[in-house]
Amino acid sequence: MSNSHSDTIPLRPSNSQSDIDEIRSLIDDSVHSGPAVVLPARHPATTPPPSSSPFISSNIPPPPPVSSSSSLQKLQAVPAAPPPPPPVGNSSSIVANGFGPPPNTLTEPVLDTVKRDLWRIVSNLKLVVFPNPFREDPGKALRDWDLWGPFFFIVFLGVALSWSASVKKSQVFAVAFALLAAGAVILTLNVLLLGGHIIFFQSLSLLGYCLFPLDVGALICMLKDNVVAKVIIVCLALAWSSWAAYPFMSSAVNPNRKALALYPVLLMYLSVGFLIIAID
Amino acid sequence: MQIFPPNNGSGRGYQTLEAPAESFEQQPPNNWKGVFNISSYTQYFNVDTDVVINRLISSFHPTAGDFFNKIEANPDLYGLIWITTTLVFMLSCFENFATYLMQKHTDGTTTWSFDVGYVNVAASGIYGYAIAVPMAFYFLLRYLGSNASLIRFWCMWGYSLSIFMPAAVSLPFKIAYSLMPPRFCNCRSHLENLKVVFGNLDFRIRIWISKFLLLIPVEFLRWIIILITGTASSCFVALNLRSYIEGGNDLTIIVIAAFLLQMALSIFIKVWFFP
Repeated sequence: MSNSHSDTIPLRPSNSQSDIDEIRSLIDDSVHSGPAVVLPARHPATTPPPSSSPFISSNIPPPPPVSSSSSLQKLQAVPAAPPPPPPVGNSSSIVANGFGPPPNTLTEPVLDTVKRDLWRIVSNLKLVVFPNPFREDPGKALRDWDLWGPFFFIVFLGVALSWSASVKKSQVFAVAFALLAAGAVILTLNVLLLGGHIIFFQSLSLLGYCLFPLDVGALICMLKDNVVAKVIIVCLALAWSSWAAYPFMSSAVNPNRKALALYPVLLMYLSVGFLIIAID
Repeated sequence: MQIFPPNNGSGRGYQTLEAPAESFEQQPPNNWKGVFNISSYTQYFNVDTDVVINRLISSFHPTAGDFFNKIEANPDLYGLIWITTTLVFMLSCFENFATYLMQKHTDGTTTWSFDVGYVNVAASGIYGYAIAVPMAFYFLLRYLGSNASLIRFWCMWGYSLSIFMPAAVSLPFKIAYSLMPPRFCNCRSHLENLKVVFGNLDFRIRIWISKFLLLIPVEFLRWIIILITGTASSCFVALNLRSYIEGGNDLTIIVIAAFLLQMALSIFIKVWFFP
């Protein structure tokens, strides 16, 4: 019954001005409720959201109640804005149009989703493993954490180790996977128990990304067979991994307890490095 | 802060012995927020780096029986967890290294393959010992009426295992020593090596020492090493336990049992991991 009420347009003397007013009010209403309906998905990206997670929506400002002319200006400003990763725009569009048409990520092609996730992995990797002192947003990798990257790296390391093992391949994979996965969880718990401030999944993600140098080292060791070369390569990879993990771990705890938080990280990477050298 | 318990008037020796420990132990349960809440366990990890290093160094002095005084106010489980983990890692790592060296020198071709099963044995052995033995002593001492604190026992036993780490490092290298080709094992190179250690001694004494060392079979040296570390660790445990219990003579048997258990662990390490 109420639907039929809202559907019926009350009878009014129809002149052009009231028609124009009615159209403008309809446009304003749609802008309030769902800007993604009217504007392309990149529009909310001009205001840099602090988080790309679709479940955290409080920081995204409500779309300004502007008239259509300024919204057109924003449309033109979008191509000029520095491109934040597309997933940011898409995921916040999920939030913005709560009752609008289905979100774009469900209807987009699979290749787009895969490309978007791969791009996020690459960007997180660049931020974590190749830390640039002049980067504009140091905390970005922490906020945009994801677990796909760590998953790929752990599985790749396990596969590389089990492939180069001559006996008990499945056991080697199991040990490597269990060591890395359980080790990441235990390291995070260690930081939390020491009174540090770290978010559980952020830390898992970071420790997984810091495995990338060891992955590269394992790949090279698979191809070469000289023991001395292996030791040198693994030492270099170990140093790189530890150097990548150091700033995140040390900033999470009290400075008096930095060594207590970092030593287990070193221990885990050392054991992985030993596995890489020993498996031939 | 000390909460003094109200005088319950019974005045039996059992009760008054229990009461100060109870009043002190009433501090931690106030922070208990449930089994699955992290913040209820942070009280056991409330240590800084220098405190941990201080406790580690004091664990290398087996004759001073004052460890429980050091950890009285602030026992920590950090030492237990990470010392046992380090020991598991070192044992499996050096065990594989030892078998690798043996294979390489007997066969000439490396048919050695990394045996992951060592990790299982090392982990279950060390973790099982470090968790079960203090618990057993805790329950035993509680049953016999003495005061005992499980956290402090775990802390002490955990730090007592740190003495095994240098032993784990040195044991496989003795194998390497014994398997070196004979032309490297002449007196001259030994004298060169010994100069570092015994640099200030008389020349004849140096020759005598080097001949003495060459005569001793290497296996004997390894047994000596493991026995020394085992004795040091067991003395640490026994003396601290005795000073903690401060009880009558009937509890001496418990101290002796702790000593023997620690020695058994050290012999197990030698026999199983470095045969």
